[in-house]
Formats: sequence, structure tokens, C-alpha cells
Amino acid sequence: MIKIPASLLRQIYDHTEESYPYECCGLMIGTTDAEKNHTVHAFRRCKNLNKDRARDRYDMDPLDMLRVEREFQNGPWDIIGIYHSHPDHPSRASQTDTDRGWPDYSYVIISVQNGTVAGAQSWVLNENEKKFYEEPLVSVPEEGESK
Amino acid sequence: MSSVTVKIPTPLRALTSGQSEVKIEGATVREVLQKMDSQFRGFGDRVLDEGKTVKRFINVFVNEDNIRDRKELETELKNGDTISILPSIAGGN
Repeated sequence: MIKIPASLLRQIYDHTEESYPYECCGLMIGTTDAEKNHTVHAFRRCKNLNKDRARDRYDMDPLDMLRVEREFQNGPWDIIGIYHSHPDHPSRASQTDTDRGWPDYSYVIISVQNGTVAGAQSWVLNENEKKFYEEPLVSVPEEGESK
Repeated sequence: MSSVTVKIPTPLRALTSGQSEVKIEGATVREVLQKMDSQFRGFGDRVLDEGKTVKRFINVFVNEDNIRDRKELETELKNGDTISILPSIAGGN
């Protein structure tokens, strides 16, 4: 399971809508519990370096990832996952996502239809099976916010 | 011989008993990664292509520099350097 505060999820959605019709990507930072559930506490936008096929591919700028790793290197949070958009496509993990996926990260995929977020799902790679499995994505209220 | 810190990304921590960083000594990146492989079984297979180059979908930085822009595995190290091993993140619909 991955828990994302509603305001952060909205900001991630904003990134995907601003980037439409191109794919965007970013890193989610937070904590992991003993059952490997993730809780997001922050996110950072990253550049998509893929210019030739930006409508259906993303290549995260490794310098952005380095910058985020250094920003959070003293803890207590860590890079726990990646988000990216699928413009005019479902939020399912594709074969390309699977081919380039890494274990232990949550992969949140946001479907953007005609410039508006249409849905989001989170996926975790089973490396032995080379297959993504969906995990629950829970938008949680902010602290102090009524449920 | 320089003493450096190697930062391990989440997907490779299963190989390092969960450690997110390892202090190790070595004169070059190759030497450090070979020592990592001796210390953590299977580490070299995940990071290196037949021990000769860094795998295509892995990026290795010494401080702020990608070793592909320097001398690859022969990149020399100084005391206190930080080596970051980062997965290359990509995909699409």
C-alpha cells in the first residue's frame, strides 16, 4: 500500500496536467514500514529527457535523481517511489514500464485524458516474475483535516 | 587508497543487508565496486556488465560527476568522496 496526503497527490496531478500531452515524471520521498507499505511525505518533479517520444516515454534525468538523493541523504525520509503520467492512456503499467522497472519502489501511474487526470494506480514490480502488481493507493487527509 | 562512502539505492539494498550506505576504501571506482562485490554477494552482477563496464541502466556518480563523463570505472577517488549508485528510471505507455 502507498499512502499519499491528498494535497501532495493534487500537486502531483497538477504536474501531470501541466505536462500534457507529454509524459512527466518525479520522485516520491517518504517512509517504508516493516510490511513495505510506503507513506509519501514529499515529492520532487524531475525532467523527462526523452524528447523524441515524450508523448509515450519518459527518461528521468539522472542528475535530478542525484539531487533528490543528496537533498534527503541525512534522513529520515528516502526515495520510495516514482510517479509518471500516461497521456491519453490507462494508468496500467505497460510493457515498457515493466522492462525498465525496479523492485521495492512504488510506481504511481496517472492517466491524463484530454489534459485532465482520469485516474491513478500504484504498482510494485515482482522482479522474479518480471511483472507489476497493483497495490492500494490511498489518498489520506492532511493532519488536522477532518475525515 | 582513499576512504569513500558508497550510497546504495533502495532496489539494491536487499544485497547489502538493508544498508543505505557503506564506507569502503579504494583508489578507483572499479576497486571500490569489486570490494563491494566481495563483501556483498551478487552486488557486482547487478551493477557491472561482466565486470567490465557499468550496466546500461545504472548510473554511478562520484560526488556530482557521472563516471561516464570521466574515466568510467578507472575514475580515481579522493578521501571523503561519495559514490552514488542510482538506477536509471524510465518507462512509458
